[in-house]
Amino acid sequence: MVFNRSLLAKAALGPAAGAVLMAFMASGAIPAYQMYSVALAAIYTIVVLSVGLLAGWSGIWSVGHPAFFAIGAYFAAYGSGHGWSLETVVLGAVVTGTVLGAFLGYAGARFSMLYIALLTLAFTMVTLELVNRWSSVTGGDQGVAVLQLRSSLGLGTLAGGSTESQYLAVGAAAVVLALAVPAAASGLRMRLVAAKSHPLAARTIGIAPEAQSALAFAVSAAFTTFAGVLLGLITGFVSPDPFSLNLGIALIAACVLGGVGTIIGAVAGGAYLTWNPSLSSAVGLPQPVVQGLVLVGVLLFLPGGVVPFLSAPLRSALRRVWRRPAPTPAKPNPAADLAPRQPATATAATGEAAVVLRLEHVSVAYGGLKALEDASVSLRQDEVLAVIGPNGAGKTTLLNAVSGLTGNGRVSGTVDFAGGSLLKARATARRRLGIGRTFQHAEVFSELTVAENVLCTRRWITARDRADVARLLDSVGLADVADRRPGELPFGLQKRLDLARAMAEEPKLLVLDEPFGGLDAGERALLAQQIRRLHAQGTAVLVIDHVLDDLFSVAHRVLAFDFGRTIGEGTPDTVLDNPEVRSSYLGTVGGRAELPERVGERSVLRLSGVGHTYGGVVALRDVDLDVREGVVLGIAGANGAGKSTLAGILHGSLKPARGSRETGGTVRTSLAPEGRALFKTLSLRENLEVAAYAAGITGAPLRERLAETTEWLPPRLRDRMSVPAAGLSGGEQQMLAIARALIVKPDVLIVDEPALGLAPALVDEVYDRLVRLAHDGLTVVLLEQLLSRAMSVCHEVAVLHEGSVAAQGRPGDPSFAALAEAAYFSGARETAATTARL
Amino acid sequence: MSQFLLVLVSGVASGAVYGLIGLGLVIIYRATDVVNFAMASLATLGLYVAVSLRDQGVATVLGIVAAVTITVVAGLLVRETVIRPLGQGQLFSALVVTMGVSLVVENIASSVWGDEPKSFPNLVNGTVSWSGAALPVQSLVTIAVAAVAMAVVGYLFARTTLGSAMRAVAENAETARVVGLGAQRLARIAWALGLGLAALAACLYAPRSGLVPTALVAPLFRAFAGIFLGGLTSMYGAVVGGLTVGVLDNLAANYASASLRDTFVFSFTVLVLLIRPQGIFGTRTFQRV
Repeated sequence: MVFNRSLLAKAALGPAAGAVLMAFMASGAIPAYQMYSVALAAIYTIVVLSVGLLAGWSGIWSVGHPAFFAIGAYFAAYGSGHGWSLETVVLGAVVTGTVLGAFLGYAGARFSMLYIALLTLAFTMVTLELVNRWSSVTGGDQGVAVLQLRSSLGLGTLAGGSTESQYLAVGAAAVVLALAVPAAASGLRMRLVAAKSHPLAARTIGIAPEAQSALAFAVSAAFTTFAGVLLGLITGFVSPDPFSLNLGIALIAACVLGGVGTIIGAVAGGAYLTWNPSLSSAVGLPQPVVQGLVLVGVLLFLPGGVVPFLSAPLRSALRRVWRRPAPTPAKPNPAADLAPRQPATATAATGEAAVVLRLEHVSVAYGGLKALEDASVSLRQDEVLAVIGPNGAGKTTLLNAVSGLTGNGRVSGTVDFAGGSLLKARATARRRLGIGRTFQHAEVFSELTVAENVLCTRRWITARDRADVARLLDSVGLADVADRRPGELPFGLQKRLDLARAMAEEPKLLVLDEPFGGLDAGERALLAQQIRRLHAQGTAVLVIDHVLDDLFSVAHRVLAFDFGRTIGEGTPDTVLDNPEVRSSYLGTVGGRAELPERVGERSVLRLSGVGHTYGGVVALRDVDLDVREGVVLGIAGANGAGKSTLAGILHGSLKPARGSRETGGTVRTSLAPEGRALFKTLSLRENLEVAAYAAGITGAPLRERLAETTEWLPPRLRDRMSVPAAGLSGGEQQMLAIARALIVKPDVLIVDEPALGLAPALVDEVYDRLVRLAHDGLTVVLLEQLLSRAMSVCHEVAVLHEGSVAAQGRPGDPSFAALAEAAYFSGARETAATTARL
Repeated sequence: MSQFLLVLVSGVASGAVYGLIGLGLVIIYRATDVVNFAMASLATLGLYVAVSLRDQGVATVLGIVAAVTITVVAGLLVRETVIRPLGQGQLFSALVVTMGVSLVVENIASSVWGDEPKSFPNLVNGTVSWSGAALPVQSLVTIAVAAVAMAVVGYLFARTTLGSAMRAVAENAETARVVGLGAQRLARIAWALGLGLAALAACLYAPRSGLVPTALVAPLFRAFAGIFLGGLTSMYGAVVGGLTVGVLDNLAANYASASLRDTFVFSFTVLVLLIRPQGIFGTRTFQRV
């Protein structure tokens, strides 16, 4: 831990305030009847701090703290009656609290927030029942006195209810506050927050959420039992009354009021708890009503709490007065990174280095679904290996098998890494072995700053660590935003942060999950350069992506996957020559299905200038599209090109951020979403009914529609109308999803990737049916990953590349085919250059 | 043996009450992601109205209807004023807000009707003897009414289109939105249904416990234990969990110690959950990246 000056100054605030307060107490400025309240407020501050920091840092909301508070108080009472020394009492209470707290935290880590609430509720209820029952120790309802505790270190004797005890309480609270300040700046807090905000990502950097929550709960419980001992001392008498479940609720109210996870907020919360009775009588309402209103009011109007609400404007005002304005978000292109783009495979693999990672016959199955089948991959230390394949090919599962995130999947086969077997190692241990990984959606810790996101990979943070991390952030161009939260940054910078976190501690192997996805051309070039630099420094890299150009510019070797198996291998220049690999992307289709010849001229649905973003990620830009009556319009694009966003906008269930959607008259649109999105626990009939019901169809018309739609389904589904949809095969689910869209008699049917994950025979069946619907006069928009399939079944095809329409035309037009293929892989601009290579 | 039979019947009767409250909690939780802590205090409000009506000579059954109505109306009012503004998926905030509401409502009840225990009428008095045990008819009626209510809920969810729509929203709110189901309307229906069940359960429970502003806190906690035991999102689980807790609670009170009944119930629940964290009927979830 590093103590810089401002941290020391902040830490000294607590003791300073405590000393001032004690001076006031001693001078008699605080009236005698308020002395007890001041001491009580100090004790409550400790408890609120314990509850609030536990909630704020580890996300555990405990209603069990009244029980710990009681345990401490009864320790004081029992100790004073049996001649224990003050130190023995404190030690006994704190050890008991720590052990019980560690147990609750460890057990609770397996559960969601609600389960922990129940677990701790149960703990409080059981403790209270025991307190009432065990009257030989606790005095039952009658309570028990705390007479005096003598220090075995010769520090004197404290009588229950004495002024000295009150001083001790204030002093103790001051020390606890002083301890909390450096804890808030420590790696401990960062690791707790990391485990809370993204447990899975935390595992990949070696943080085990169970251990973190056990530790956090143990510390929190220890401080609360200590506060309980103090309570026993200042009151001089302990009875079960104060430790009710209502205290549990009041503690939560105090935390929420002050601001969860803030230290000053805890002081405010402690004061609120102490003076709530006076406050209530001042406003003339019963105490619980005030408490209830405060809870509801704060959560509705100041969800962050009072202290953060007040301090945020104060801080920004101070910043305006004292310092230059906060830096604006970094421009992503610092000069150093603008070096000319190097040719592909600038740093060659020698082909002689040792194999660092070897997977042999690895399969991963989730229930009946084989996500990865018999995969064998080997990677040398001096290699960048790319894995490609269409959506659902098993690429991410492969990475998860390497980084240990296969969840409840069954993994078989062998994985060797750096000479040891990897499958037995837990995900948290793999970081130590030298494996770093990034995520497709940049799973960063949203509640930590950029620097803390990387720092939390260390357990104890030294000044040198801070310097290392600063240098690392500088090297990826994040130095200017080191103190910001990831949420304030554009997606490209979040992905750099994800990479920086994986690179910290210099792993032997970096596993990158779609690192280029969602980045613009400039960012992709920077990233490619970064990967080459890593390779030059001796890191082995395993990378999967759909953005083939950039991927191939960094890879030495490419493996192609489909249906969970390897289907081809080669260098970036040759792998696409393999017909099987090529067809896994483009598809192979025999003859064209017979489409209805006439297409109406009337436009039923028109998009103009439509753009959409998700939290800074551009999904669509400036799309113009005209859907004419009776057309079968295909929209082809690789994974991540923006197809599903476009489907939602065409459907009308997603409002575009920019541009407009116009319909010709009242047009009913219906969507069969990607991945079917059936209600799996509902039967086939119920799935259909619900869709009709949603469109306002009930009673006899509903039954009629249901009968018609059932007729449309293939016979093997018609016979199983009362079976849950989960029991259907992929192709059958797709039929049902289309039927569900048809039951509302739409004018336009939008089908998003109907062929995804289906065997070829089933794909043909689904497409046959779509073409037949077109013959019946339905307008169909088909979103399709495989270009050739779109070309074979549609009147018109628009090719989507990185959110824009890169080419549009009719499949019958001979010049369009080559243009569309080039646009599919490389977009509109670079078309000429890449067509040659393909 | 006859003593055991008596305990068992009264355990099943308690369990039926916990099961009904748990069912109400699960219906609301699945539809709106709100764990409704205020359910007990809102139902208490209904009970006090029923007692006041009884004091004016209104038939008990009508009083129960009034209790259910008042509880439902108050619950919907709470949802529209303080829960809905929080927005979707605010699990913790919503829970704490309902705690706050619970404190306020409990206090309103105590300031209007006072803290002294009031008696709540049995639907039926008397006992029947069976295998040498004198079983209170009220217990049997409780079991029967709860069974009918559960059957009606079962029919609604399993056999009607409205029920299918509610299950659809519970399974996947996003898909339900794409399909075009009106989430707010279904949420209101779920709240009304859940609170109605809680009020009915309260009317069945109150004759045994007597009526004070906090009378329903204990059954609410036991219903919580029941739904956690059952798996939180499963309606069968709520009923089975409630019955288990009811029987266990009565066995513990009779054969161990009345003052340690919750210790037994909660220790049992926590132990089961340590072995099977998802509860008896719950499903394990797994986060994908």
